[in-house]
Amino acid sequence: MGVPYIPVRGLAGTDVFERRPDMMLAPNPFDPNEVTVVALAQNPDVAILHGLKADREGNAILRRFGEDVMVAQASRRTIVTVEEIVDKVTPEDTSGQFISSINVTAVVHAPMGAYPTAVPGLYNRDDAHIRRYVDASVSDEAFRAYLDEYVLGLTEDQIRNRQALPSAK
Amino acid sequence: MPAGAVDLRCNTEELLAILMSREVRDWEISACGAVSMIPAAALLLAEATHAPHAEIIILGSDELSHNLGKDIHFLTQRGQLELFFHSALQFDAEGNFNLHVIGDPNAPDRRLPGGYGSGLMSYMAKRILFFRTEHNPRTFVDKVDFVSGAGVTDERIQRSTEPFKVFTPMAVLRFDRDTARYTLESVHPGFTAEDVQAQTGFPLVVPDPVMVTPAPTDEELSTLRGEVRDRMISTGTYPEWAREVLRAP
Repeated sequence: MGVPYIPVRGLAGTDVFERRPDMMLAPNPFDPNEVTVVALAQNPDVAILHGLKADREGNAILRRFGEDVMVAQASRRTIVTVEEIVDKVTPEDTSGQFISSINVTAVVHAPMGAYPTAVPGLYNRDDAHIRRYVDASVSDEAFRAYLDEYVLGLTEDQIRNRQALPSAK
Repeated sequence: MPAGAVDLRCNTEELLAILMSREVRDWEISACGAVSMIPAAALLLAEATHAPHAEIIILGSDELSHNLGKDIHFLTQRGQLELFFHSALQFDAEGNFNLHVIGDPNAPDRRLPGGYGSGLMSYMAKRILFFRTEHNPRTFVDKVDFVSGAGVTDERIQRSTEPFKVFTPMAVLRFDRDTARYTLESVHPGFTAEDVQAQTGFPLVVPDPVMVTPAPTDEELSTLRGEVRDRMISTGTYPEWAREVLRAP
């Protein structure tokens, strides 16, 4: 949207509001009887989104549901990782949500890039692995060991050819 | 079975689902968030009984979530969501609720995920039904550890002015915004107003005589354990929970 801030109804009087320096109370300029919370625009430096496919122009098909396109539009740079690089991606492709190359900085071919979460139609979420990830996140040592075993210690080919659970749909 | 002296023939989850289902109105848009098993059962029970035209949104369901994404936020901001459900860790005398942390917010004993939206939904949904599967002084406190939603705000803050209700295994409490007090709306069969007050860490307004909550009916119980249970299982709406919880003892 490119707006500097946005009014939001709610949150006034909460400790969430009290603890957020990026939210303030401001009068509604069109209605002197109303005050709302206004929230500062969030503009990430980089967004990384995973999708189904992309072309070399940067047009891509993202997951069908979710606010991925809005995240890309808010971010200064957007990297789209995809299962597959194809010759041409168009908005007529209904396998997911289309994102135009004007919102994309770079495309990366990353098969199995959503693992251990799912890409509907391709592979399912791996609950056992996610539990292992959560367990590993309790300490720096445990998480370092996790990274060594599942990320840093693997070759590119091993990561791309990971075995995932077949998709339910 | 809730710990009253009267056998209501159901467990606490079923009781709360049945009592809250009675608050769902036909033709209205009612919704519940993710990880909301009891509200999901309440919505489906209402639809199966007195509210066949209710539009229901169950965000944690495979088939009944409507895949709304940001639309549920915008619907609520516009003031068009008529009923929404919330649980909370704590409720206090001023109508504040806490869905975030127990203890010092900077070094909490317990921290829960996902309390953020509650400060939006609880202000802008027209009617809010709170529920809690326990009723004791650790839940109903003088002052919450963290305000996820405030009961009363500056009059220039636009929000729903409807009273909200809290459903527990002992009673239904109602918070009126104009008086900023909790009233004992009804006690469940087997409990007295004194029982409820003794388990509530702030003073309640107690009408005389106090209303007794109508017990679950045969129709409500059989529909919940039959049609609603089947529907939850077939639509991917907390199927494991439905199998485990919604059944005759």
